[in-house]
Order: sequence, then structure tokens, then C-alpha cells
Amino acid sequence: VRLRRLRSARPADDDVTFDFVEPVVFAVLSIGVIAGGVAVVMLNRITAAALLMAFTFLSMAGMFVLLGAETIAAFQVLIYVGAITVLILYGVMFTKFSTSPRALFFQKQTPLAAVFVAAVAVPIAIVATLSFTGAPPRPGGGDLPALATSVFTDFAFPFEIASVLLLAAMVGAIVLTKRDDQEEAAARRRR
Amino acid sequence: MTVPLGAYIAVSAVLFFTGCAGVLVRRNAVVILMCVELMLNAANLALVAFSRKYGSIDERGSVFVIFVFVIAAAEVAVGDFSVSVSALLSIVVILVVLG
Repeated sequence: VRLRRLRSARPADDDVTFDFVEPVVFAVLSIGVIAGGVAVVMLNRITAAALLMAFTFLSMAGMFVLLGAETIAAFQVLIYVGAITVLILYGVMFTKFSTSPRALFFQKQTPLAAVFVAAVAVPIAIVATLSFTGAPPRPGGGDLPALATSVFTDFAFPFEIASVLLLAAMVGAIVLTKRDDQEEAAARRRR
Repeated sequence: MTVPLGAYIAVSAVLFFTGCAGVLVRRNAVVILMCVELMLNAANLALVAFSRKYGSIDERGSVFVIFVFVIAAAEVAVGDFSVSVSALLSIVVILVVLG
């Protein structure tokens, strides 16, 4: 629904009268992204944190649409919202967590981390806002042709390396779970 | 009035360092993994924004976004399984010690 709303907002760029739509949509999306990220860091309930992470990824997909990168937005929804969130929810389901309240967040290094993050993030945000003032240009016809041309010509070898990496990750995950099954069976026998 | 490039970069920086704070502060392995995903996604936003601005002919930045997708998927697969496997292994070790 969010993507469809953005798509319907995009032809407003040609029309001078509705030019305020894009900053408003950007503001809503950026608030969604940052609030979702902060909630992922702050929340103690891990399932809620995972679902808010999916919300952050959806808002980020809307930002990609706003930038004119529709293909990247589609990949974002497919891979991050579809696959990675589901995998993390599986990880949450299959592991046991200590649910002692506030024990996971309020620690000794929290003020140090907050000071470090604020000291680095705020100057970067201010400098970026002041430096890059021009709006990025809007491409005609989407980003898929240029993207596909780059992937299959200049970046063909890294593309193959990426496929090998995915294969290695798959085999590694299978090996990890397989070894665990055998050790669990051995422990059960010993018991 | 359109959105300037710096606004995207500012959002990207804020999200990146939010995830960085999560990695520094949280102790839970799955939450640290989620915060790493947030950092990767913030880097994706910066890559797409700069690719829009400076390389919209051949989309080189967006190609790197695709590689970041691949790395994130591989990382979360192996990381998640190793987290659950380490939890199961610790249960196995406890059972072995008790038995």
C-alpha cells in the first residue's frame, strides 16, 4: 500500500502545484526509518524488534522508490522484508533468551556508546545536509536497464563470486546444523 | 522543491549509527545481527542516493547494493544458524555435564 501510494505521488513531480508531496513523503518515510531503527535498538521484546526491523526495511524501500530506484526497492522488499526478517524470526523462535527486564539494555557501556554515536552521527548528518544540496536527478524509464547492463558486463565476475558466496553460505549452514544433529544424538545416547 | 541529496545522506548516517549503538550496547546475538542489518541497509541508502546523483548512467552504486544484499543474506543465514546451533550446543553441553 505504501509503494502504491508513492507511485501515485510520483507524477506530481511534473506538476508544479503538487511539488510539496515529495518532501512530505520523504519526511514520513525518514521518521519511519529512524523510529524503527531506534525501536530495534531499545526494545527488549525481540519479536517486536524483528517486526519493527521489517517496518524499517519497508520504509527504506519507499525511500528507494522516492529516489527512483524501483528495482532496488523491489529487491529490498523481496530479500530484506521477505527473507531476512523471516530468517531472524526463525532464529528468535529456535533460541532461548533471558527475559529478565532491562538486563539486556541498561549496562555500563550504554552512556559511552550513546556519547560516541551522537558525537559521530550528528556532525555527519549536519555536514551532509549542508554539503549535498542539489536534488538527485530523476531517471527516465527506471533503473533496471542500466542496472542489468552493469551487472552483466562490468560486474560479471563479482556477480559470479557472489553466487559462490551464497553457495558457501548454504553449505555452511547445512554443515553447522548437521554436526549439531549428530552431537545431540550422541548426547542423547550417552544420557 | 524536491528533497536534496544531503537529507538522504543524513537519514543514512543516523540509521547507521543507531545500528552501531545497538551493536555496541546489546548483548543478545540475534539483536546484534538485526542491528548489523540496519547498518547494511543504511549503507544501501547512501549508495543508492550517490548513485542517483553521480552515476545514473550505469548505476554502479546500485550494483554494489545488490552485492550488499547477497552478503546480508549469506550473513544472516550463517549467523542465525550458528546462533541457534550454539544455543543447542550449549544445551547439549549442559546435558553432557549433568549426565
